[in-house]
Order: sequence, then C-alpha cells, then structure tokens
Amino acid sequence: MTNPRCKTWEHHLSRRHLLGAAAGATLGAAGLGGLLHPAVAGELKQKRKQVLFIWIDGGMSQLESWDPKPNTRFGGPFRAISTSVPGIQLSELLPQTARQMHHLAVVRSLHTQDNSHSAGVARIQRGDPKDRGVTYPYFGSAVARLLGPGNSGLPPYVWVKPGSGGFKHQDAGFLGPQYGALAFGDGQPPENLVKRNAVSDQDLEDRDRLRRSLNQRYAVGRPPRNSEANDYVFDVAQTLMQRRDLFDMESITARERDRYGRNDLGRDMLLGRRMLEAGVTFVKVNSYGWDTHGDNFNGHASLMPKFDQAFAAVIEDLHQRGMLDDVLVIAMSEFGRTPRINGHVGRDHWPEAWSLAMAGCGIQKGLVIGKTNDTGTFVDSEEHDIGHLFHTWFRALGIDPVKTEYNNDGQPLPIAHDDCHVIQEALI
Amino acid sequence: MMLDPQELGVVETDRQVHAARCSPCGQYLFAGGFEGEVRRWDLDGEDSPELQPLAGHHGWVQGLAFHPTEKRLFTADSWGELRCWDYAADEPAPCWIQESAHDGWIRCLAVSPDGKLVASCGRDRRVRNWSTVDGKPQYEYTGHEHDVYNLTFSPDGKFLVSGDDRGVVKKWNVLTAECESEFDASSLYAYHRIQDVGGVRVLALDAAGKTLAVGGGKPSRGGTVQAVPTVLLFDFATGELQHTLELGKPQDCYVHDLVLRPDNLVIAVTSGTPGNGQIIFQRPTDEEPLFRSNKLANCHSIALHPDGRRFVVVATNKGSNGNGRRLDADGNYIGNSSPLHWFELT
Amino acid sequence: MFRSLTCLWLFLTAATAVAETPLHVGIDALLEAQSDAPCSPCTDDASFVRRVYLDFAGRIPAANETAAFLADSDEHKRRQLVDSLLASDEFPRRLQQLLHVMFMERLGDHEDWQAFLLKAAQENKPWDQLVREILNPDPESPETRGAAFFYTKRLENYGQNPVDYPGLVRDVGRLFLGVDVQCAQCHDHLFVDEYKQVDFQGLFAFVGNTFIRRDVSFPAVGENPLTAELEFTSVFEQVPRQTGPRLPRGMSVAVPEFAKGEEYLTPPDKKNKTPGVLKFSTLKILAEQLPRAENELFTNNVVNRLWWTMMGRGLVEPLDLHHVDNPPSHPELLELLADEFVKHQFDIRWLLRELALTQTYQRGSAMPEGHAAASTIPDYRAAVERRLSAEQLARSVLTATGELDRLEPLTASFTAAFANTPRDPELEFVPSVKAALFVMNDDAFAECLEPREGNLTDQLIKTPDSGKVVDQALLAILSRPPTSEERDEFVEYIDGHADRAAAIQNVVWSLFASTEFCLNH
Repeated sequence: MTNPRCKTWEHHLSRRHLLGAAAGATLGAAGLGGLLHPAVAGELKQKRKQVLFIWIDGGMSQLESWDPKPNTRFGGPFRAISTSVPGIQLSELLPQTARQMHHLAVVRSLHTQDNSHSAGVARIQRGDPKDRGVTYPYFGSAVARLLGPGNSGLPPYVWVKPGSGGFKHQDAGFLGPQYGALAFGDGQPPENLVKRNAVSDQDLEDRDRLRRSLNQRYAVGRPPRNSEANDYVFDVAQTLMQRRDLFDMESITARERDRYGRNDLGRDMLLGRRMLEAGVTFVKVNSYGWDTHGDNFNGHASLMPKFDQAFAAVIEDLHQRGMLDDVLVIAMSEFGRTPRINGHVGRDHWPEAWSLAMAGCGIQKGLVIGKTNDTGTFVDSEEHDIGHLFHTWFRALGIDPVKTEYNNDGQPLPIAHDDCHVIQEALI
Repeated sequence: MMLDPQELGVVETDRQVHAARCSPCGQYLFAGGFEGEVRRWDLDGEDSPELQPLAGHHGWVQGLAFHPTEKRLFTADSWGELRCWDYAADEPAPCWIQESAHDGWIRCLAVSPDGKLVASCGRDRRVRNWSTVDGKPQYEYTGHEHDVYNLTFSPDGKFLVSGDDRGVVKKWNVLTAECESEFDASSLYAYHRIQDVGGVRVLALDAAGKTLAVGGGKPSRGGTVQAVPTVLLFDFATGELQHTLELGKPQDCYVHDLVLRPDNLVIAVTSGTPGNGQIIFQRPTDEEPLFRSNKLANCHSIALHPDGRRFVVVATNKGSNGNGRRLDADGNYIGNSSPLHWFELT
Repeated sequence: MFRSLTCLWLFLTAATAVAETPLHVGIDALLEAQSDAPCSPCTDDASFVRRVYLDFAGRIPAANETAAFLADSDEHKRRQLVDSLLASDEFPRRLQQLLHVMFMERLGDHEDWQAFLLKAAQENKPWDQLVREILNPDPESPETRGAAFFYTKRLENYGQNPVDYPGLVRDVGRLFLGVDVQCAQCHDHLFVDEYKQVDFQGLFAFVGNTFIRRDVSFPAVGENPLTAELEFTSVFEQVPRQTGPRLPRGMSVAVPEFAKGEEYLTPPDKKNKTPGVLKFSTLKILAEQLPRAENELFTNNVVNRLWWTMMGRGLVEPLDLHHVDNPPSHPELLELLADEFVKHQFDIRWLLRELALTQTYQRGSAMPEGHAAASTIPDYRAAVERRLSAEQLARSVLTATGELDRLEPLTASFTAAFANTPRDPELEFVPSVKAALFVMNDDAFAECLEPREGNLTDQLIKTPDSGKVVDQALLAILSRPPTSEERDEFVEYIDGHADRAAAIQNVVWSLFASTEFCLNH
C-alpha cells in the first residue's frame, strides 16, 4: 500500500544521518559525498566553476528586453536596436547589453508551467522536477551541493539582495539546511562582523584552537554532523570577518560604482562580482519590483536601464578579468509578461512564451535560441521548460545532468527533470 | 448648463488607442494607436463611419495636435518621428515628415496659438519646437534631466510649459528658450524599489492663461502601480500651488487626461488597476466632484468637441487583464480594444 | 511482528499485577524487545543532571547544583531530582516557553498569551482542556482569554496581502492533529493518499469565518455565521463538492439554516463593534470535537510531540505528517503512550515524568562501543542530541556566569541570534553564521565573559590554582569535571599565557562556543 512517491519514516529519519555523514566531506573540501554517480569529480577539479544568477523578481517583460516585437499589436512603444552580433536585435531599453551580445546566449523559447508568483518563484528556481514527494533544492543550493564551496572559506551559496539578510536554509529542500543561502541584505555586512577591540588577534586564534579541541573530543562516538556543522559556521564567520573589505563600498572608486549604477541593483551586482572574485561558488543577485501589471512601459523605461547598466558592466568585467569562461551567468524571472496590454497599460503574468539570457562557462556565445511568432504570443520553435535549462546549466558546469543523481536517503533523485534534455545549441 | 452628461453611444474599436482629439472644424475624430496607426472617424456621417487611417508611423502614436486654423494635423510616434498631415484629404498623405525629431518615444505635441510652431517632448529628455510650415527645427529647450511626459503652450503664445517624470514642470520663454520658472509637482512622483513612479501625465492651461493644471497621481508603489489620482492647480504667474484635487483611491492611479474649462471646471479621466476608470467634473474650490462616473473601465483620454457640448472618452474593454493563456473560440490569442464613449452635456 | 510485541506487552502487564506497571517500564520493555543490538549505557550522573535541568528547568544546573547531585549517594537520586524539578517554580516557566515556541513558531508574542500559558503550566492543565481553550477562547475569562492570540496573530494581514486563512487551517491541522493538509487546499494531496481536499475544506469551515475583534484591547476572535456548506472544486476534476465543518477522519457537521438575521442569539452591535453571539459557532464545535480521547489524530499528535521533546525524534516523523502510509517507527509504543495519556486525563507533567524515568531517556548520547555513529535506524539505542532553544541558551549562559539578574535585557538578543525565522519550526540543530558571529563579537554576549564582581570569570581569575580554575569552569559551563587530558591542556594554556585573565576569558569563551554546550546531549 505504500505510495512510491511518499517516503516512509525510515527515509525521513535516516536523512539526517546521511547528511551528517556527507557533511564532513562536502563542507570541508569539494567533496561529492551523497552523489550516486560522482563520475565527474575528476573533471570538476580541473577548473573551478562558478555561477552568477541574476533573479529579476516579479517578471521582466520579454517584449521590452530580449524578444522585442516592434510596431506590432502587442509590441509596445519601444524600438529594437542592433547589437554587437549582426542580425540579432534587442529592445532599445538594453543599449549597453546590446554591445555585449557577442558574449550572450538569449533563449526566446521558454515555456513554463506556472503563472503565479507564490508558487512560480520556487518552482522555477527548483527546476520544476517531477513530483516525487520531496522538496527539491533551489538552483543555488543544488550548485552548492554539486560543486562545493571551494577553498575560499566562504559559504558556497550567497544571496545578495535588497532588504533583510540572514541565513535562508529553506532554499536547500531535501539537501538539508547547510546548503541554504547566506543572504546579505542592502549591501550590508552581517551583524557582529567586527572583532571587538578587547579581543586580540592572538586571543581569536587561541579561542578557535580551544573550541576545536573541545569539539573534537565531544564528537567521539557521536554522529559527526552537529560538530561539523557548528565548526563550519564558525569557519565561515571567521572568513567573513577577514573579508570585511567585500562590503566596504567606500573602497570602490566612484567611477566603478557609477558604471554599475547608483541604485540597489547596481550596488548588489557589484557586490556580487566581488563575491565571485572572492571565490563564492554561487552568487544570486536579486532585484525586486518587476511585477508591472500597471504602467508597464514607463515602468520598464525606468527599470530596464538599471538592469542594462549593471548587467552589461558585470559581463564586461568578468570578461576582462578572464573569469567569464568559468562563471556561468544567468539573468531571468519566474515568468514573462503577457503580450496583451491591459487597461492599466500593464502586462500580466505569462509563462507561455518568454525569454532569458545567459553567458559564460560552457555557453555558446552570441546567439539566440528559439523564437516566438510574429506577435510574440507563443513559441514558434521547440518549447523549453525550466527543466531543459537546468540540464543545460548543469552540463555547462561540467556536471552530467543524466548520470549525476542526488542520494536522498538511498532514494536516487535526478538533478533535473527526467523528461527534459540539454539544449545542445546553447553549449560550446 | 447642467453638468449631467448623457452617454450618446459607443464606437467600438478592434484595437487599443490612447490619445483622441476632435479636429477644430468639428468633422473628424482622430486617435493614435499601438501599431503606428492614426485612426480617423467622420463625425458628420451617419454612425460616424471610420475613414481610411493615416498610415506610416511606428510604435505608439501618442502626440496629436491640430493647427488652429488650417486643416493640418501633427502626429508623433514612439520611434521619434513627427508628421504633418492634410487631415481632411480622402487619402491623407504627409505634408512633411521629420523622421528623427527625437531619439525614441515622443510623448506629446502642442501647437502654438498663432499656428507657427509645433512643440514636442520625449523620452530623450528634450523639448523642441518645429516650424508648422515645413517641419524645420526652430528652438530647443534644454534643462529637463528626465523623460519629458507632457507640454502645452500658454494661450498668449509667450510660454511653453513642460513636465517630466519626476514632477518637474518648467515654464519656458518660447522665443529666448530660457526657463523662467518652475512649478513643483514632485508630489506626483515616488521612487519605489528601483522604479521611478508617477510623473506629470497631463498639463493644461485655462483660456485666460491664469491657472495651470498638472495631472497625475500621488504614487504609493511601483510594479502594479498604485497612486491617488491628483490634479495640482497653480497660479501660472506666481507659481503658487492653489489647489490640490485628489480624485480617487490608490487603485484609481493616474489622471491620464484633463480639460480645464474657462469657468475653471476641471474635467478629468483616470485609469487605474484594470477595470478602474473615472470621469470626474470638479470645481477647484469644492471638496467633492460635481459629477463622477466609474462605469467605464480605464479611461485614457478625453476630447471635447468644438461644439462645446459633446465629448468623447477613450476607455478600455472590461476584463482586459489576466494571467496566463486565454484564447477565443477559434484558438486565437485575445487582445484588448478601446471603446470610444460619446457623451453630451445637457 | 507487531502482534508478537503486543503479546509481549500484554504478558508484561498481566505478569506484573495488572495496570500498575509504570509507563516508563513498559516503554523500556517495548524498545528492548525490538532490538538485539547493544544500547548505549546509562549516562553518567553529570550528563543526566544537565539533561534533566535543561528539560525541566529550562537551563543547565548551577555548579553547586551539579556538585550536590554528584555528591549525593542516594540510589533514587535521579527520581528525586526529576520530582523536585517538576515541583519547582522553574518547571512551569520552562513548559510555558516550550508551548509558546511549539504553538507560535516565532510568529509573535503577547503578554496575555504568555500569562495564559504560564497559568496553564502552573496548574498542570490537562492537554485537552488547554487545546479547548485555545480553539474556542473565552473572552469573558481574564485568565484564559490570552489563548486567542493563537488565532489573532494568524489572522493579522500584512500590507495588501489578504488574511492567510489557509495558513491558519494548516497550523490547526499540524499543531493539534499532526496533519499538514496545506497541499490539499486545491485538490487531493498529490503524494499523501490519505489527505483529501475535503480534509482541508472541512477544517477551513471551522476557522474560515473568524476575524480579529477590534472592540477590545486584548486578543480576541470573532466569528461570522457559517450559513451553508462550503463548496469546493478540485482544480483537476472540476466536480463541485460540499462539506460542512469536518475533522480529518471525521464526519461533516450539519450546517443549520437560519432566516437572514436569525443567526445570532445576541446580534452584533455595529456601533460598539461587539461581534454578537452565534447560535451555530463553528469554533465551539471545533473545541468540542477536536480535543477528545476518541480522536486518534489528536492523542497521537500530542504524545508524539512530547516524546519528540524528550527524546529528540518523533515516533512519527515529520511531526506533522501522520497518515496511514507514514506509520510510526514503533506503532505499539505510540499506541501505549496515547492510551496511557488518555487514562491519566491528558496529564502533561505525568507523561514528562514517566518519559524522564525511562532508561531510553537516560542513555548516553555517544553510540555504544564498536557501533559506527552513522546508524540510520531510529532505535533509541543512544540518546539523540537535541537543539537548545534561545530561551534555554540565554538562561544557561547566565546560570553559568552567575548573573541571572541580567536575563531580561539579554533575552531579546539571544532570541535574535538563535531563534528560527517565523513559521520555521525549531526542530533540528541548525547552527548559523549569524549565531557564530554573535558568540564571537556581540557586545552583549561578550559582557557575560568579562569579570564583574562575583561572576564566574571574576571568581576564576581570583583562583590562583589553574587546575581548580579548569575544574570550576567546566563544572559551571559544561556541568561536568574535565577529563585529565582536558585539564592538562587548559592548565598548560593558562599558565603559558602572559595575561592570565585574558587566557581564562578565552577558556570560558571556548566552553560557551563549544558544540557540547549548545546541545542537550
């Protein structure tokens, strides 16, 4: 009578132990414990891959960005402009990005399943896999798990966002809380980042040594998970204390801050780049306020240039620093916006035919994948769900999306939707 | 005159339009659309038949202005093109075209009272003047730092007034191109998250040139914009804010268009979250409107007929919004349209 | 297998003079019978005294309390300690905090709610009565009306968001019945066959008409009349169905018809905003039907949660996912607990006492020799390490430093550093970077380590013999003597340091920052 999709108590309980067993390997070095088929481990070690995931929350309009349909019924007021790649046009709201088009791959054939924010945000970021009765990790947690933290001492999954910071372990789903996101809010360092004057560097070192020694003794005979997880957060805390400079905007030249834009998104994109430079595996940069059900065109006329500036700057910088070949950059929302223009001169939620942009690590340069029909209402080529993108991204990062599986209490789980596949033309 | 407008009828359209204006001769109604078209109706004909449109623009046609005496219509689109038409011709052709009047979206046009100049403003932050005769550039008014949404001439022709997306309103000397003063309409602007919200949506001067009306909304949020529709009334000479008319709730959003009558009556239309539209008649000194109708959905434009009795309101079909896929019986994607509602003041 | 175990239990009860077998004996017998593998030995006195103080006093024992217990040679001293703690003033406060975190999940707090919980804990209010008072709070009773905060906090709306009624329905199901029906809101649950859409809708019919009363200054909930069965349609099937108020596994309550305006015994008063008195109050029916001995979900949920509280893992996991395809790890044990709890009139203190007296509770948390730590079987052969709440941590730190007088100002900063975010149940030990930075650099925490007249650090610094310093520090903070290896290491460190006071502070810090300190092991 047991429902195959529903786990028994054994699964639930043993999960913690397995996580515990895996925690040492994964949190310490770039381990692959808990994966059934670590066939790619050797490959991964060769070159360190990173991800910059730019999340445009609320839904960027594909028609005002990646897939313009100028002078058509639903095309809106804006023109299309030429880019650095002959034959490819973008909305005039992306002038600086257009000059970076030769680094980018634009997907215009997204066709996803959910048109609500509440479910859609999580569904997209979890890759919308088949329902197996488990909560899948967000892409950030998945990459943190699969690629590990590297040796930067920083957590593998960092979320740079407006508003509050903190540790968002819910992102991790069944992977377990340690794969959640460490969020930095409003460009601010976390609280209590500065060492107290009364504590000398030597004191700090002594304390750390004494604490470790106590923990080692305590861990004997006990499941290692608690001690290791606790050591890990202290390690991260210490690294962050040493890397306070990451948050010191004063140390950044005015020119550089201007290049990214003096707004939340510009600030966070710049901080995101610095996090990548510091070695963080997965950086999510989050912009809010794109749900333009009303006044969509003036809204995008105001919002898009801020995205354009920050996005073009980060692509250019990663390229100039020689990082782009190893950093996968993705810019996307939970869905696009309706072609139909409503009475509030807005556009509503539209998962049927929308776009995203990506660049870097393993991704083909200077092309458009898929197309929509003349009025932009539906996809007029093979449709691509988020599962196809997850396959493609994992492959771009050197992870075989078919052979690699999560091991959830002995329950093998695919890392991307089993009915989807890699978009070959997107890959180098 | 009683202020009790009676609806005369509706002219259905198969597409959305926004700005609508009646020709000074009273025979035609023009409306700019979303696909570069300028549509034309013969008001003298039975059932106001639609005539051949004025074709050739691109994108949105938001700027419409008439020559005061000649049968000339000036139109502007969101790709930066300005055109002059002999609007009464059977097959209208442009008299002249200024292809690159602006870089991109031209938001508004106005013709000087003497008919010599047509002024334009747009997203490129520029305010310019053109000869109505041949479209040659005349003056440029530099000073706005943001998208310029609207402009109008003073009745005496001495001043040009322009307003931008931050609520900055400038009063220009037409001939010297100097900014003589500013009106503070910054209450019509807010910065929410990373979005600039609001701005000056409409400007109007009364016939005597004493009162400047600035319409828009006091925004509380961006995205799905919420704003209290508002008209600010300034003394045009001193710049003093005399009245603030708040004409609805946050979901009513913006005053999109307004008329300031010689008796200082403000006639305004609003468009808010889908379905919310108002027609409002209000005296500046009154607390409450003399007339308010919220029967129409999302009113974007109002045009008085030269007869002084009739007016037309551009609204939107009901049920214009909705997430996700919605198809008609034939499986086609459904767009929206802009019914034109005719009224008469009795 | 279940059958034979049940027989064993029947045999046990029969053999030991019917019914008078204490529950704790029965529990141990059942667990022992199920496993051949060796168990961890009974934990030593030091671990036991720490564990039971944390559970029943909400703090670690003070150094003198530990020392007294270690020195006590009475063979019944464990039982005596359990009984004295349960009789102390500290137990009701601990139970109050436990219930608060369980019911509110850090959503918010209110003094009337705390007063209600404290009073309930002091009176050892039976669980069914406690739940009844929460589910249908009586605004006329000053002592219990704070119970309404369970509803009113969840009925608040934020910004433009509507009131989260589905969230309220979910919490009623999760916290009182152990069923999470949220995913059955719009259709039958996709992967829990037992959870049907009607389960969600039936619970919704009980609490979906509630609102926050604005006519009174204390938390109070009002009800609009339910005039018809709820209609609902699965998004999959599009077949319209109806239900009245209905508990999962229960029957739908008939909704009486009243003429318009006849729904009230006392009609609401618009002017004074009083809500009126309904003839058909769904909250009243909920409070009558849900907390009953015959309601297996209700009894299983509470004993499972109290078992989890004491043992660190539920017999059903997750705690809020009881259903037929997710059986308990030890079905007969869950049944025994539920039956006995009902027999003892839902006596919380009695059940906690019985659990504390089991060998299962008193085992060491290190795995038995020769058995790897990574066991995946929940067989209770070793004690499970448990997370400490922010409240337990704050009180424990100050107990160790001897500065409980500073508790008030410190509680908020401990809560900010160690509590989960709202709606996130505090079940597992989830160390965070935020908490680590708090321990490392926070001013308020650092002050606890600084010497002040009479506090722990002050006493340690004034103790000339470094060996004694280490003994005292470990007894105060870790509630145990040091191993000889530890003693040597710390002594060497203190004596080798140029600044003895700084060295002692570093030792104290490392003890507080250790994993051992921040767990109940």
